[in-house]
Amino acid sequence: MIETFRRLGRTPQGVLGLLLLLIVGLACLLGPMVAPFDPEMIDFMGRYAAPSTRHWLGGDQLGRDVLSRLLWGARTTVPLALLATLGGTIVGAVIGTASAFWGGRVDEAIMRTVDAVMAIPGLLLALLIVGTVGAGSLNAALAVAIAFVPSMARITRSVALSVRRLDYVGAALARGEGAGWIVLAEMLPNVVAPIVVETTIRVAFAVMLFATLSFLGLGAQPPAADWGLMAAEARRTLHQAPWTMIGPAGAIALTAIGFNLLGDGLRDALNPRDER
Amino acid sequence: MTPLLAVEDYTLGYRVAGAVRPVLKRLSLAVAPGEVLGLVGESGSGKSSLAAAIMRALPRNAREEGGRIALEGQDLRGLPERALRPIRGRRIGMVFQDPSAALNPTLTIGRQVREVLRLHRGLNPAAAQAEALDILGHVGLRDPAAILRRYPHQVSGGEKQRVLIATAFATRPELLILDEPTTALDVITGARILELFATLLRETGAGALYISHDLALVAHVSDRIAVLRSGRLVEQGAARQIFVAPQHAYTRELADAVPRPERRLTQSTPGPALLELDGIGVTYGRKRLFGPAPAPTVREVSFSVREGEILGVVGESGSGKSTLARALTGLVPHADRLRLRGAVVGRMGRDYRRAVQVVFQHPDASLNPRHTVGSQIARPLRLFGGDVREVPRLLEQVRLPADYARRYPHQLSGGEKQRVAIARAFAARPALVICDEITAPLDVSVQATVIELLLELHRLHGTAYLFITHDLNLVRQIAHRIAVMQAGRLMDLQSDTAIAAGEGAPYTRALIDASPRLDLGDRP
Amino acid sequence: MSLRWLLRRLGLVLYTMLVVSVIVFGITQVLPADAATTLLGENATAEALAAVRTRLGLDQPAAVQYWHWLSGVVTGDFGTSMRTGQPVGPVLMLALGRSLLVAACALLLVVVLAVPLGVVAALRRGGAIDLGAGLLSYVGVSLPEFVTGTLLLMLLADWLGWLPATGYVALTDDPADAVRHLVLPVLTVSLVLMAHISRMVRSETVDVLHSDYIRAARLKGLPPGRIVVGHVLRNAMLPVVTVLALDVGYLLGGIIVVEEIFAIPGIGRAVITAITSRDLPMLQAAALIMAATYAVANLLADMALSVLDPRIRYD
Repeated sequence: MIETFRRLGRTPQGVLGLLLLLIVGLACLLGPMVAPFDPEMIDFMGRYAAPSTRHWLGGDQLGRDVLSRLLWGARTTVPLALLATLGGTIVGAVIGTASAFWGGRVDEAIMRTVDAVMAIPGLLLALLIVGTVGAGSLNAALAVAIAFVPSMARITRSVALSVRRLDYVGAALARGEGAGWIVLAEMLPNVVAPIVVETTIRVAFAVMLFATLSFLGLGAQPPAADWGLMAAEARRTLHQAPWTMIGPAGAIALTAIGFNLLGDGLRDALNPRDER
Repeated sequence: MTPLLAVEDYTLGYRVAGAVRPVLKRLSLAVAPGEVLGLVGESGSGKSSLAAAIMRALPRNAREEGGRIALEGQDLRGLPERALRPIRGRRIGMVFQDPSAALNPTLTIGRQVREVLRLHRGLNPAAAQAEALDILGHVGLRDPAAILRRYPHQVSGGEKQRVLIATAFATRPELLILDEPTTALDVITGARILELFATLLRETGAGALYISHDLALVAHVSDRIAVLRSGRLVEQGAARQIFVAPQHAYTRELADAVPRPERRLTQSTPGPALLELDGIGVTYGRKRLFGPAPAPTVREVSFSVREGEILGVVGESGSGKSTLARALTGLVPHADRLRLRGAVVGRMGRDYRRAVQVVFQHPDASLNPRHTVGSQIARPLRLFGGDVREVPRLLEQVRLPADYARRYPHQLSGGEKQRVAIARAFAARPALVICDEITAPLDVSVQATVIELLLELHRLHGTAYLFITHDLNLVRQIAHRIAVMQAGRLMDLQSDTAIAAGEGAPYTRALIDASPRLDLGDRP
Repeated sequence: MSLRWLLRRLGLVLYTMLVVSVIVFGITQVLPADAATTLLGENATAEALAAVRTRLGLDQPAAVQYWHWLSGVVTGDFGTSMRTGQPVGPVLMLALGRSLLVAACALLLVVVLAVPLGVVAALRRGGAIDLGAGLLSYVGVSLPEFVTGTLLLMLLADWLGWLPATGYVALTDDPADAVRHLVLPVLTVSLVLMAHISRMVRSETVDVLHSDYIRAARLKGLPPGRIVVGHVLRNAMLPVVTVLALDVGYLLGGIIVVEEIFAIPGIGRAVITAITSRDLPMLQAAALIMAATYAVANLLADMALSVLDPRIRYD
């Protein structure tokens, strides 16, 4: 673990990614404490206030401080995206690894079905689910998690398959090791690394998908300080107050870029190359 | 007389992570016109880098520091890229190790051959096609027209190599660089390709630089030989003499490490039957709804391995020998056709697993990169009831320091990883160890130490081996009996004395004749 | 490409559509506790609810409902919209046409711009174009479409006034104006794709450039131009075909957002309207059609590959 962090620190992407995510993480943890204003405090005097020393990022159409809303909003957007990705990954990984391990006709049947589910675009699937069970942050997170399952299953399966073919799995089989040992002790540690990389990059995607759902009115509901919702509301006031859009857009972009960079850095760090 | 190729005082390094790693150090050698110079060395000796340097096709991070590389007196190092293009492929031809890797998989063979002919001989498409047919016929390919129409994956390795040789010679080069041209081919095919070379070189009067790690091969093919070690020229001399009377200790070491069938290394006597195979057959793939059933990979193989016996299994690639190994370790299903010490083996249970272990070919893939060396050796001890405190002793038994137990596989060299795999196989004192081409990817000197190790363990524990290899000379040194496989069938099973006396099926004799032996004169 | 292969692939498409239909129907009609309540709201009378249930056939078992719906779909009858009372089929086909226009333009743009960009970035690795393209790609995949769409709208329509902000004009009515209305949506939806494809092309091209057969071609003395055009491009493009087909799925998702932002009456907009107005038949049909588009795109890509790549001749 420590070894991985050290290696991560040697890659430029790793350092930059960690830095960005540190900022985002701090916003999640300490945001509400350092926010200068109450995110829901309406101030008709400060409507469309341009960025100033009072409102660092300006005020929105109801005079609420954009910066404070962003800091509060981190708590809804980011952890839910993380949870959704983790949920989708775990379920997908179990399906994928099991399918790879069984192989043969079972594997083929499972994968054909997974492919069929992937014919429904991710956003559409999420929309279908949210449209039916109702709008809201938690429902949106659930929808995102479900939308991620098929692709994570595919990726896990292909990684697990390539691991299964390697000789050390053959050696384990030749020792008479049971299926449990082979999957958990031999295959999983080697499957985890690429999956971690992929998952990290997926979180970026989850953040954006989540924001899109809020944008379409099916994710977080007003007056929540969710970044996607802020961007949706900012659409109408783009002329007068472009900062109301730039604020949340920037936050989304920063988080997504951070996770993408971290994923790239992890890809190199988790790959033990020849060190002699 | 100007040498055809003259490398003078040439130094080369690669820039890796800020530092320059030296590859060739003040190297000087020369090839006379019409001469074949063999270049031998182990991995890391720099021989392939020299080929790239001569062709001026070095990677981006290469750093040259002084020296000349002259073709007929003209220094290639000073030439701009434009001036080099008429030299590459025309005045200097190159034949690579893997013919599949040298051809674009999405273009027909004909297109790729004509491309070269049109470029270097200035022919129009029709003339190029005619010439292509001609040169392919000249190298002994039947039905050149069909081959030209096909894609690389539809043609065998030997045929592809002939096509590449024909193309290389078709531009009438003055010098040919051959980089391990037969390593990827079967022994018999490789022998024929070498004959083809000799003929074509004689016909065209071209000189050649023959690069290989296989000393016996090089000795047969070359006029003179240069020995490279870690980028330095160690010795050079006439091919006939250099290994018979080496001047340098390293040359002698190398020559001694080459397997020679005359030098018998096993003196033990095997006991009663240990593992009996009775008509084992393996077929991959299912029979599909429309189409013929897939051909079996292993057919009706029956033989027995005796206690403490070293049984060699030889065959070309595709002969089914690896599949047989997989069947014996339960990696591939087959019917109950096995008996261990007389008892039928239905399901391969603990006793069978303990008695029969396997070491695989690729050291990189046979150890789990996420487990320490020590834990991987300890695993069979835990499974089959041994003492995990034995791990340091087991490591020492394979001549590795005991503290390697804490290391991870990526911190070890190929040879060291192979030794760990051997230690792991021996941990639970098996009765039989199946060795599946375990020395194939290793340098000849490393191979010699691994074989020495195996024989020592054999003497210590009386373990039997099923030694699978394509190297006949090696197996004749160590095996009590030799099984020969072809196309999934067991063609022959002879004792080593019988083989030495000249007996054996025609296929066996053909294999033996095609395996070049190193002649060391009267040296023991 | 043998007939047997084609039949097998078509069979797969059918299986895919079957699974999709089950999922779509399952989620929209079977999942909600009571679709009628969701439709009419909490305060509806018991009679009204019962009437809706009978009208929708909700009082019958799920399998029967599914069968009715499926048999309708197969014969081309997608049902009637709950919102407008008009047949769903013709409306959606028209909408699909508009969406496909946007999608096709986007794909064209991607192929024309992103592919050469990726190749150049690979050929001049580490150069200005490579680094610039890399940076832009990173940003491109980190911004959701609604952000880029709104920003582009802000920039090009509001501030500079070069293009109309929203709306759709049919090609048949006024080609020039139609094109002007198409620019922003096409640009928005293709940005993410361009970022992805250009990176992909770059990495594929780099792989091919390092491959043994390209090295061998160089050593045979072939000039670099010849190598790139005759050998590298051909091999690097093959995986791109597959990826483009997979990205159609992402493209369709993006189209939903873009149609919402730019008020284009395409199939994406139909989905959103159907969700907000609880128009079940419309939603089900729209989802089915989008999935069918993806399946057909992948089939076409597979067919193209089997012709272009000699290694895949018979499946």
